[in-house]
Amino acid sequence: MNLSFLPEDMDWTCQPCGVKLVPQISELTYLGASFKVELPCCPQCGATLISEELALGKMFEVEQLLEDK
Amino acid sequence: MDQKQLRALEARCTQEEPPPCQAGCPLGVDARDFHNEMGKKKYAQARKILEKHIPLSPIVALLCEGPCRAFCHRKDLGGSINTPQLEKFCIENSQSKARTLPLPPKFHKVALIGSGPDALTASFDLVKKGYKTFLYHLEEGPGSWLIGHKLLEQEILDTEIAGLKKLGVHFIAVEKLNKEHIPIDEYHALLLSDNADILSGDSHTPDFETGHIHDCYFTSPFAKSEHPFIDAISGGRLAALSIDRFLQGASLTASRVQMRRGKTDLYVNTSEIPSVPLIVSQNQGTYTEDEAVNEANRCIRCECLECVKKCTFLQEYKAFPKTYARRIYNNSAIVKGNHQANKMINSCSLCRQCEVVCPNDFSMADLCLEARSQMVKEDRMPPSAQHFALEEMHSATAEGQFLSHAKGQKDSTALFFPGCQLAGIRPEQSAKLYGVLTKSQPQTGLWLDCCGAPLYWSGRTDEFAQFTTEFVRKWRSMGEPDIITACSSCQYIFENHLVDETGEKVLPVVRSAWQTIADLDIDATGAGELLAVSDPCTARHNTDIQEAVRGLVIKAGYRLSPLAASKELTECCGFGGLMESCNHDLATKVVTARAAQTEDTILTYCAMCRDQIAKTGKEVTHILDLLFSDTAIVASDAPITLSGRRHNRRLLKTRFQETLVGEITPPRDWEAVTLHIDSEVAGTLEVRRILIDDIQKALHCALERGRFFQHGNGETKMCYHTAGTVTYWVQFREDDGYHIEGAWSHRMTITEGPQ
Repeated sequence: MNLSFLPEDMDWTCQPCGVKLVPQISELTYLGASFKVELPCCPQCGATLISEELALGKMFEVEQLLEDK
Repeated sequence: MDQKQLRALEARCTQEEPPPCQAGCPLGVDARDFHNEMGKKKYAQARKILEKHIPLSPIVALLCEGPCRAFCHRKDLGGSINTPQLEKFCIENSQSKARTLPLPPKFHKVALIGSGPDALTASFDLVKKGYKTFLYHLEEGPGSWLIGHKLLEQEILDTEIAGLKKLGVHFIAVEKLNKEHIPIDEYHALLLSDNADILSGDSHTPDFETGHIHDCYFTSPFAKSEHPFIDAISGGRLAALSIDRFLQGASLTASRVQMRRGKTDLYVNTSEIPSVPLIVSQNQGTYTEDEAVNEANRCIRCECLECVKKCTFLQEYKAFPKTYARRIYNNSAIVKGNHQANKMINSCSLCRQCEVVCPNDFSMADLCLEARSQMVKEDRMPPSAQHFALEEMHSATAEGQFLSHAKGQKDSTALFFPGCQLAGIRPEQSAKLYGVLTKSQPQTGLWLDCCGAPLYWSGRTDEFAQFTTEFVRKWRSMGEPDIITACSSCQYIFENHLVDETGEKVLPVVRSAWQTIADLDIDATGAGELLAVSDPCTARHNTDIQEAVRGLVIKAGYRLSPLAASKELTECCGFGGLMESCNHDLATKVVTARAAQTEDTILTYCAMCRDQIAKTGKEVTHILDLLFSDTAIVASDAPITLSGRRHNRRLLKTRFQETLVGEITPPRDWEAVTLHIDSEVAGTLEVRRILIDDIQKALHCALERGRFFQHGNGETKMCYHTAGTVTYWVQFREDDGYHIEGAWSHRMTITEGPQ
């Protein structure tokens, strides 16, 4: 099962592509561990947005867990 | 660290050694715990402690002569705790809840000849182990001597004898305790109590450690002692253990726990414990409840914890060095699973106060440093723990480094090394201090750099050695001048850890700036105000610096206010050893506790200590504020921001580059990005350790590449920039520069592109 970390506000456009971000599966990697998660991405260039909530919440939590493994 | 080294280290922490009362009790009763429960009126709990170690506790507790009292630390502080009276009170005011479950029956038969305290104790211990136990007594009844001497009420004795019978002890009355009346050949082992007339002559003398006479004969070895009753009980227990070993074919002596006879290594500091007089019973030797509770609470609850009492870090993890050593050892031994002690290992400030207060010089600093070094070597050091501090060091070295002879000089007899924190926090005063030094000695060069302390603290042993080797190379290139430093951490590193390319230790002449300027004429502006001097932890053993600073303070017209933890006992401000980088919350606790130690304004001679203490809102000043009052920072002023420090280091370098060697450093591209940040956002950035530099670089990079995210509202934009192992995100609006709405960071990397 893939985890979804889409922010409430998805009204973002990628520049210079000029395309709206859409939910896509991306891979996050840290210290050799990888996770496939659903994040807002540019369908054209693949640029992925990491929201403040995700970075300081779940992402930070997982980083800390992996660091103590 | 291997098991042997661990045990040697553990042995240096005495906290788990028994208190003297326990060590002095022939039965090993933990009277400290007993007093603790009694003091809280938890009599059932107190009784449980007695019953854990004492056989036939209602009898023994009532008749114990209290040999523990000879070893009690209260002895000269009001009188030893009257534990026998407290035991009596406990037994009379609680019900036994002990349930004795004998082991499955064994084949062997044991005879106990006589019904002295030793035989009664041995019967209890042996029947519990499953032996067929037979106690021979004279016809007046077992334990009758207790009644005859009016030591005990008949009812109590009857209850205990009934209890022994219920457990399976066979009581046999005989006319005489001799071979004619006792079929000794039926028994596999015999314990000879008082009046037993089985053996005769010298052959009756037992081995003192085991109570073994010869063959299958045993007895209590403590027959004629100062405390005949409790020693007989203890002797019976000792002999019962020997009988058990004898019947199992085991060695009587191997791995046997020896009686301590009061000997313990537990260190107890009684210097600040006031004398409190012994509570004397007003009721014919029986305590009232109030008397008992008061007497129990006179117990000082002997323990060491000398280091823990003084150290917030050691208190934080709720244990003491012996336990910490074990946790750290186990943390290293884990192959799979979480390394739960990582944060603890990285949180020690390495201030070495524990070494000073510990009677055995236990060093948490060395323990944590070794563990960090091993974590680095095994590539399992959590990257985020030390990241910021090492980045700071990298920046101070890469962006703030500058080394030059004094203006117009071709040689240096000395080099002024302010330290990267003084340079970052007080650039103006650093420059002024350099001016003072060159005035008295014109051939004083300048060296702006980091001393490498963060590398040392991080456990990056190899990198640190490389760093110091390079450091030594630069110092030699300047003609090996004396080093004058304004940072005691730098001084500590220079005096202890410099090595050259061959690995040889290098010892430059290092002087403190405060000693160097001790004779400086300064304005006495203090008007007698009190200042409490907080010595930096790295100046702990440097009495010359401590005195030089105090001399300057007095010269400036101030008076010295005492600070308990100062000089040799001083403590860390929460920054050292990477504590602040790894465990911000603990660092805050540490410095808050430090600031609370005096009501007067604190004075320190470490720029970082000043700013750490200032974070708590405490009035704190730096020695340079006294020396250069025209550029003094107000004692109540907030500390400089992290971004400010970086900016100042570059500024100072640029300034000296221009004035000393005439070089102009052009600003970097990203420095031209103009930011507007309100105070709330700035506060958040400070907590998240995101610097103005990081934001400028992210924006510069995004604008240059034209890559960012644009919100549908047409105003808000978002961009990111990965620097090393960290990705920084910035949310902003463009309007006459860039208004920063927020910034955050993460360490995970994104595999971009839909999968």
